[in-house]
Amino acid sequence: MEKKKLIEFRNIVKNFDGNFVLKGVNLDIYEKEFVTLLGPSGCGKTTLLRILGGFLDADEGSVMFDGEEISNKPPYERELNTVFQKYALFPHLSVFENIAFGLRIKKMSSDVIEQKVMKMLKLIGLEGYENKNVTHMSGGQQQRVAIARALVNEPKVLLLDEPLAALDLKLRKEMQYELKRIQQEVGITFIFVTHDQEEALTMSDKIVVMKGGEIQQVGTPEEIYNEPANSYVANFIGESNIIPGIMLEDYKVQFDDIVFDCVDFGFKKDEKVDVVIRPEDIDIVEVSQGKMTGEVLSVLFKGVHYEIMVETVPGTTVTVNMHVIRNTDVTSEDGKEKISANDFYVDIEDVAKLDDKEIIALSNAQAWNPETDELTSISKIEYELQEELGTYPVIFYAPGGTSIEKKIFVVNQRFVKNEKANEAVMAFNFFITVDEIKESKALDTDIKTWANAQGWKLSDENQSVDISVDYEFDPENINVGIYKVTFSTTGREFKIHTTDYSKEGEEVGLTFFPEDIHVMSKVVYE
Amino acid sequence: MKKFSQLAIPYIVWMVLMLVLPVALIAMYSVTTHGNSIISFSFTLEHYKKFFTDSDFLLVLGRSLMIALKTTIICLLLGYPAAYFIARSSEKVQNLLIMAITIPTWINMLVRTYAWIGLLSDGGIVQQILKLLGLGEVELLYTEGAVLLGMVYNFIPFMILQINSALCKMDASLLEAAADLGASKAETFKKVTFPLSLPGVINGITLVFLPAVSSFFIPKLLGGGQYFLIGNLIENQFITAGEWNFGSAISMIMAASMMLMMMLVKKIEVRNNGGKEEV
Amino acid sequence: MKQDKRMFGKILMGLLIVFFYAPIIYMIVFSFNEGKSLTHFSGFSLKWYQHMLESRDMMESLYTTFSIAILSTLISTVVGTITAIGLSKSKKVVRDVVEQVNNLPIMNPEIVTAIGFMLFFITFRVEKGYITMLLAHIAFCIPYVILSVMPKVRSLDPNLADAAMDLGATPMQALIKVIVPQITPGIVSGALIAFTMSVDDFIISYFVTGQGVKNLSIMVYTMSKRVNPSINAVSTLVVAIITVALLAINLIPAFVAKQQEKGRGNGSKPLLFAVAGVLVVISTIGFALHGGLKGSEKPYQGQTLRIYSPGEYMGENIIPAFEEMTGARVVLELFDSNEQMYIKVANGESYDILIPSDYMIERLIQEELLQKLDQSQIINMDFINEEVKNLSYDPGNEYSVPYFWGSVGIIYDTTKVTREELEKDGYNIFLNPKYKGDIYLYDSERDSFMMALKALGYSMNTEKEEELQKAYEWFETCVTTMEPEIVTDEIIDNMAQGRKALGIVYSGDAAYIMSENEDMGYFEPLEGTNNWCDAMVIPANAENVELAQEFMNYLCSYEAAYDNSDFVGYTSPNEEVMDDLYGEGGTYEGINAYIPRSGYEMDESFVFNERTRKIISNLWSKVKIVASNVN
Repeated sequence: MEKKKLIEFRNIVKNFDGNFVLKGVNLDIYEKEFVTLLGPSGCGKTTLLRILGGFLDADEGSVMFDGEEISNKPPYERELNTVFQKYALFPHLSVFENIAFGLRIKKMSSDVIEQKVMKMLKLIGLEGYENKNVTHMSGGQQQRVAIARALVNEPKVLLLDEPLAALDLKLRKEMQYELKRIQQEVGITFIFVTHDQEEALTMSDKIVVMKGGEIQQVGTPEEIYNEPANSYVANFIGESNIIPGIMLEDYKVQFDDIVFDCVDFGFKKDEKVDVVIRPEDIDIVEVSQGKMTGEVLSVLFKGVHYEIMVETVPGTTVTVNMHVIRNTDVTSEDGKEKISANDFYVDIEDVAKLDDKEIIALSNAQAWNPETDELTSISKIEYELQEELGTYPVIFYAPGGTSIEKKIFVVNQRFVKNEKANEAVMAFNFFITVDEIKESKALDTDIKTWANAQGWKLSDENQSVDISVDYEFDPENINVGIYKVTFSTTGREFKIHTTDYSKEGEEVGLTFFPEDIHVMSKVVYE
Repeated sequence: MKKFSQLAIPYIVWMVLMLVLPVALIAMYSVTTHGNSIISFSFTLEHYKKFFTDSDFLLVLGRSLMIALKTTIICLLLGYPAAYFIARSSEKVQNLLIMAITIPTWINMLVRTYAWIGLLSDGGIVQQILKLLGLGEVELLYTEGAVLLGMVYNFIPFMILQINSALCKMDASLLEAAADLGASKAETFKKVTFPLSLPGVINGITLVFLPAVSSFFIPKLLGGGQYFLIGNLIENQFITAGEWNFGSAISMIMAASMMLMMMLVKKIEVRNNGGKEEV
Repeated sequence: MKQDKRMFGKILMGLLIVFFYAPIIYMIVFSFNEGKSLTHFSGFSLKWYQHMLESRDMMESLYTTFSIAILSTLISTVVGTITAIGLSKSKKVVRDVVEQVNNLPIMNPEIVTAIGFMLFFITFRVEKGYITMLLAHIAFCIPYVILSVMPKVRSLDPNLADAAMDLGATPMQALIKVIVPQITPGIVSGALIAFTMSVDDFIISYFVTGQGVKNLSIMVYTMSKRVNPSINAVSTLVVAIITVALLAINLIPAFVAKQQEKGRGNGSKPLLFAVAGVLVVISTIGFALHGGLKGSEKPYQGQTLRIYSPGEYMGENIIPAFEEMTGARVVLELFDSNEQMYIKVANGESYDILIPSDYMIERLIQEELLQKLDQSQIINMDFINEEVKNLSYDPGNEYSVPYFWGSVGIIYDTTKVTREELEKDGYNIFLNPKYKGDIYLYDSERDSFMMALKALGYSMNTEKEEELQKAYEWFETCVTTMEPEIVTDEIIDNMAQGRKALGIVYSGDAAYIMSENEDMGYFEPLEGTNNWCDAMVIPANAENVELAQEFMNYLCSYEAAYDNSDFVGYTSPNEEVMDDLYGEGGTYEGINAYIPRSGYEMDESFVFNERTRKIISNLWSKVKIVASNVN
């Protein structure tokens, strides 16, 4: 069945104050379609809709409607109607008058108006509500009135601007079916704007995925889900595992040093690609039967299935020494003030960036009143630091004059690089007292601070990488001594949706079919 | 949160003392015979009778309501387009214009009204401009026109600000919705903008009409000694004649008639809201 | 089409802006006028500013206006905010009732609120003055604060205070640290409204003030009858103060933001700055007013003399000179009519000296509101003209010392009216259609009725109701056919400028008018007139009798009497002064109005009679009402 082209956007460009919201959009919309414009806020979907509605003028390009250029027509001359985001019902008019508004403007006779409005009320299931005050209706009811108000004018196209955003979840689901039903009943084109991918998948005949003022992919819900054009679409529609890979030849893709069969072709030899595997397409099997192996990191129960995270490639790790020492508090002569601090290590490259605040934090310096246990601030610190390797003294003063002297070790700290994972981690040996460990309320975080542990991307030093802490001592019963602490990043993780349970820490195998591997061109991020 | 509710108690006491009691005193004075004290107390309606049986008093009340009505209409006719113009300007211009309208209201009303005496007096600037326009030597000061001008001058900012804030509060998508449904600019104004700005209009009318009825310094300064409105009548009873009981009765009558007028206006508003059923 | 509409809007807006600012600009320009005229700019001068600075009345009114505005703003803002917060947690019934009552001063005509306050203070015997004015201002400001804070409080998350207290804040801390910062915009706008309302207020202040306390509005209202460009100067000063305050409020936030870019802005700061700024100005004025008086020891150092006098009735050097001489401070309060004065005195307000007219003195003596003078203390009594001593209202001058005396007569423009016509028609010339729209009547019940009664050939002290009714009818004819303007002191400047052909005036005002305009003449009709005398008396409840007598004594002296009469134009009771001012080289040389007719058999003095007073008072009100209904 060949459908008739109803709306054509031709190279639509729009900018607000130099900000390009639409960067040359081309799109065709056919008769009787339910089309969804999908994308995160700021992607330009609403702008496109408002240009079609006539509330905004495009800077460039043209809009054809039924073969006719309509860019210069005011909204009230266009054969389409809009359902606004917050409905925009006229608060001074009753339900009936709201719906009749457009008809009254067209100066229809009142019996015709009555007939049409009543028909509409029936369609939206609000018979008997005609004299209600719209401001006193529930969100769902207002929504229906807004739809009726638009549809009663018998437009060729109905525009809906995130109409369900203001409703709660249950009502939203109900309205999704309702909208689809109405669309099928009246048989006109609906153009629906939303940022909710589930909504889009449920209702649409055609989904237009947008991002940054450009169309990423146009297709049926199945096409969009199963064959996302790029990792952006894959990520936005449903959940995905996205892995960087290399297309060795047609039907052969390599990722994480393993070569897999796939059904994709037409890429250049050794082209860098993104590989998408949907979580529900991966099965957990015995280690021996798996195409890949890994360790189960976490298992979450999600109702119909488990969400299991499996680490196939370990992360980058670094291990440092934690020197647990005796308390070295200094108490003032009158016993009313105490001060404590620790020696600490610092990288020679960071010496220049050190200031009082940072030194106090790294040394964990504290002053307090032992009688009330109230913390006071460190009033002054004295130190001499040079950008040379060595040991430097630092003295901390409490407000009452009590002081404590500690050492700063300036070292050339190595960091662990992991080229494959494009990341590096670094941490310092550190000194800490028993009490400080015992009093810590969030020990993992504190240890990261004390060790000044950091992780970052090799490609961009400013992009940090999450690290986790691992140690074997028992913080409750720790004694003076030296302990190992390991900091590590996460490696390659796969998200798997399955109805079978696995245990955390278990070694498992992963398997999937060649057709479950979706290979996509790399998106070039600006 | 019981604790916080006690915060209102001191004011409630003060309110009874300073707001309720005075009104009660006026009401009491208006129905008692002579004597400016609460000890000797004897009930009478003679003050009300005196007012209502004398056509001259009624005429004064009528004239006061009339001039207040005229003031209100002029303020509305000038103020609405002005407010509309402001609301449709860019935000920067909007702030500037609102400032321009507000600043004069910060300066003492009497001071500003006094300035009009000089502008309107014989040989004054306004008269000379009118003369240049070929309108001849018109007497301006101590006429009803002068009083009307003084009232419009003092009260029109309230009208503009009220209507403007109602217009600004209006959701822009309502106008888009009207256009979307086929209404032209004029139709949108008639069917959506104006009805929705009505609350602002009503507030504006209240803020202009109420003070205009009871004002007594504007008529005295710009209308001259023989220009007597209900406010002057009350002032006269209290300050010169010493007839506090009669003065109180007139005050009650004025307050009541104004409340009546306001209720009437509110009713019109409700009717204009078109068959809206309260739930 | 669209363009046309914008055009229309632009023109309208432009005209409105001109309309709003024309009077303000006019005021500023004419405050620098060299001459006294309100219509012709005759050159640049600062003399009205000097005049303003020298006038303690004006400076005090400025001080009163702004100190009351700031105090009432502060108090009402704090109370209003606390109440709004309290109300938001109160039961709905309480909240609704309070909100309704709160609307009273907003929805009620201001004059009704004002009368309510006045009756309230009088009923509870609170002496009216600065404190009552402040209380009233606070009372009508709080509702506006509540009205603007309430919506902000309502829109707060109800759990905010709970969250703060959950984290260990006391209710007070929760209030100050969490709730108040959230509703600051509402508080600021409430405070601004309160401040404007207070600065702007006239009606309420007018009814609740006493003891000579005046704010700017009252000052302008009482002074507006005479041409006084100093009002323009003081207005310009107000414009300047307000402009500076507004600029401060609008610019300081930007400035502060620039200064400490990273520091978080504090919404209440600009207001604080503005308030602080105005406070500095106020306290400077206050200091100048009060601090400047401390000097060397003088006999009455630190004491206060409170005088209640008719407006425009005292030479401008009298009070400064007396203060200089005695070291005392004089508070001068002005009244429009004897009746107005009587109401206040009868209601127990306390003054040291009153200056009423003859018949009113008679009434005050009858009602035992006056005290006898210590005759031995008033040595200067000897200078007083025998003609005004021992008059019927106070035989033997036991209670009173004459202040001014004179007659009531017709002021006429000799270029329009001839003496023959006046002699022929007498007072009935005010019914002559030839002068329709060209006459002034004087807004004084007793002197107006004197004129009508005399015109009809009756005694002005008649007790016959039908004669009074006839007199009323005489006026009815006059106001319905002659288009008179009923004025008080405005007549002085207007006749001096020759605005109308005829008017009824007091002889003293006539003398001043004639000294200003040679074309004017004064005529005392042959039907007779009122020979009146105003005198100084000491009320029974006076607080400083000794100082009062000192003042009386001083005014009888040649220097003071000369200065007084020379400035005001009324006839001095000091015979020597009268002769000198009338005689060669005197200010009122050859001006007949300065020497009132005496010994003419048709002339009378007023006799007090409560019954006729009431009738006349009512009838005169009616005359004014009828006159205004003619328009």
